Amino acid sequence: MTIHTPPAIPSQLQSNAAAGGGFFRLLKQREYGVLALLALTLIVVGLINPAFVAGGNLKDILVAAAPAIIVGCGLTFVVLMGEIDISMGALMGVLATVMGQLTSPSHAHLPVGEGILITLALGSLVGLINGLLVAYGRMPSIIVTLGMMTVLQGVNLILINGQWITDMPAGLRWFGTGRFLAVPISIWTTILVVAASIILARETPLGHRIYASGSNPEAARLTGLPVRPIKLFVFTLTGLLTAVATVVSVPLLAVIEPGVGKGFELLAVTCVVVGGTSISGGQGNIIGTVLAALLLSVVRPTLVFLKLGPSASYWERAIQGAFILAAVLLDQVARARSRRGKAGA
Amino acid sequence: MTQQAIKTNRIPALPAALPSRQEIVLLILILSLFGVANHLSPNFLAPPAQITLSTHVWELALIAIPMTLIILTAGIDLSVGSTMALSAVVFGLCYKAHWPLAAGAALALLVGAAAGALNGIFVAYVKVHPLIVTLATLAAYRGIAEGISLGQPVSGFPDSLTKFGTGSVGMVPIPAIVFLVVIVVTALVMARTPVGLWLSAIGYNETAAQYSGIAVSRIKLLLYTSSGLMAAISALLFVARRNTAKADIGTGMELAVITAVVLGGTSIFGGRGRLFGTLLGVLLIHEMREFLSWQWNRDEITLVVIGTLLILSVLADSLLSPKKR
Repeated sequence: MTIHTPPAIPSQLQSNAAAGGGFFRLLKQREYGVLALLALTLIVVGLINPAFVAGGNLKDILVAAAPAIIVGCGLTFVVLMGEIDISMGALMGVLATVMGQLTSPSHAHLPVGEGILITLALGSLVGLINGLLVAYGRMPSIIVTLGMMTVLQGVNLILINGQWITDMPAGLRWFGTGRFLAVPISIWTTILVVAASIILARETPLGHRIYASGSNPEAARLTGLPVRPIKLFVFTLTGLLTAVATVVSVPLLAVIEPGVGKGFELLAVTCVVVGGTSISGGQGNIIGTVLAALLLSVVRPTLVFLKLGPSASYWERAIQGAFILAAVLLDQVARARSRRGKAGA
Repeated sequence: MTQQAIKTNRIPALPAALPSRQEIVLLILILSLFGVANHLSPNFLAPPAQITLSTHVWELALIAIPMTLIILTAGIDLSVGSTMALSAVVFGLCYKAHWPLAAGAALALLVGAAAGALNGIFVAYVKVHPLIVTLATLAAYRGIAEGISLGQPVSGFPDSLTKFGTGSVGMVPIPAIVFLVVIVVTALVMARTPVGLWLSAIGYNETAAQYSGIAVSRIKLLLYTSSGLMAAISALLFVARRNTAKADIGTGMELAVITAVVLGGTSIFGGRGRLFGTLLGVLLIHEMREFLSWQWNRDEITLVVIGTLLILSVLADSLLSPKKR
């Protein structure tokens, strides 16, 4: 990968580009670690219970992982910029309520298409506000999105007003249960979002600029990269993708209630971090996030298919937490080894 | 220059130094809230009502103390709510296994401190970003709490425990005494020993702090351990107050505490902040929440108001200060 930079690049960027070889080898190690853990789980559980690797179950795992993968793609870019967003869960809750109330026959009863367009626009708008506050208000993104999360939680409770939405119209349900060529819509959407994100990261000047401004914001600013508009873009993208994830996942639920999206922000952040994206920006990629989302989504079906009894599912979060710590430890070991390697060379 | 900057940001035990801009704004907000409350519903401000309502705040206030110190060092602890759940469940299971209450409480405190220490080891010695470590243990500790309790609540604790949570000495509730002891000790340590200076120094520039002989790793380990211990104490107070121990307690506590600390003027990047500001942040959030629910029975408006306040206060600070970042 080449970084398109003006001729007068500061030494910092140059050295980053020059270190590309070793740096990408390291990233690959991290991806392979998550991939190996995922493959191992699939093989071992598949051997014990072959139904686990049957097409139907793999499809279910993908459908369950879809929201985390879709939002994880946007969040990866945010974290690559050295920022963070923790408002996605609350945003998903508000968007679910809005989408439900707009389209449900007992509320506004708008056409499904309009309801979804408004939902996508609203998601982008909230992302845009986050981005404006971070990029132009010069505020720490964790504070902005913590505040946004709190506001959105309140807004959701006010909107829903104790009345759960139970009558999602069939047209809306289709986004959750519909199929195209025997594959659920949510999986198609996920594939599309992942492909677009990979192309954005690898093949476009904008993607290269995201990496460049994340690895050294000061240098990026001095070389004339428009760091603020790029930040605005990645936050807006995350808002939009949160709306997309809402559209393809919420129609699968029986009802829309205030608990929709609860804790989702932490799941998405976890996927990005376990996937190898550095929390301080500049390093990481989409594939890692996707693999991590799959790894975390495989825990629950694994517990079910191992037939450990009804109590086993209570350990899901503990196992997820252990996976994160294991991935982080592996990363530290790999980094220490690479430091030693550099010192030797 | 830097030395002076650190000195002026030292945390005094009492607001001996002039209150910061953020603290003045908070004071004005609290006083205007009291003014409005006094106008609309004078009973709200009467001491008996305030003492009853205060039972809701002590757990948040206790955890906010170590959180302020951790954020001062540019760290963060997202696992406090989960640690609460883990300690509460351990205490509940001990009671169910017919352990004496004191033994169960001791084990719960030990588990909380150990959970905090594990965070501290990862942050200080394995050198993983605290956001990642505590994000992992946020899932892990609550997961263990759910796993060992199988999601079942334990209740029916004896009166002696309930008294600990809801009783009072004279007018002062027992949880308030616990809080007062912790805050006074912490404030004295911060003001009368170099610890406050060390924490700010670590937050400003960890490498520089390390080279100037500050035991950075040991201090961090101690801070995260005390955060876990404080979460465990809060868990016991909660169980005693509500007479139930379940794996879902403390959900969202981490974000409420961080909101209070940041609202109180502590910089999320470390180095700058005071316990006094955190106290004001906790007080504002508490009074606002209680008043809105007292007057209009609407909790959800509180969330909108607090979130907006958090954003506006930091935005104002960022726009009014000279360019830093």
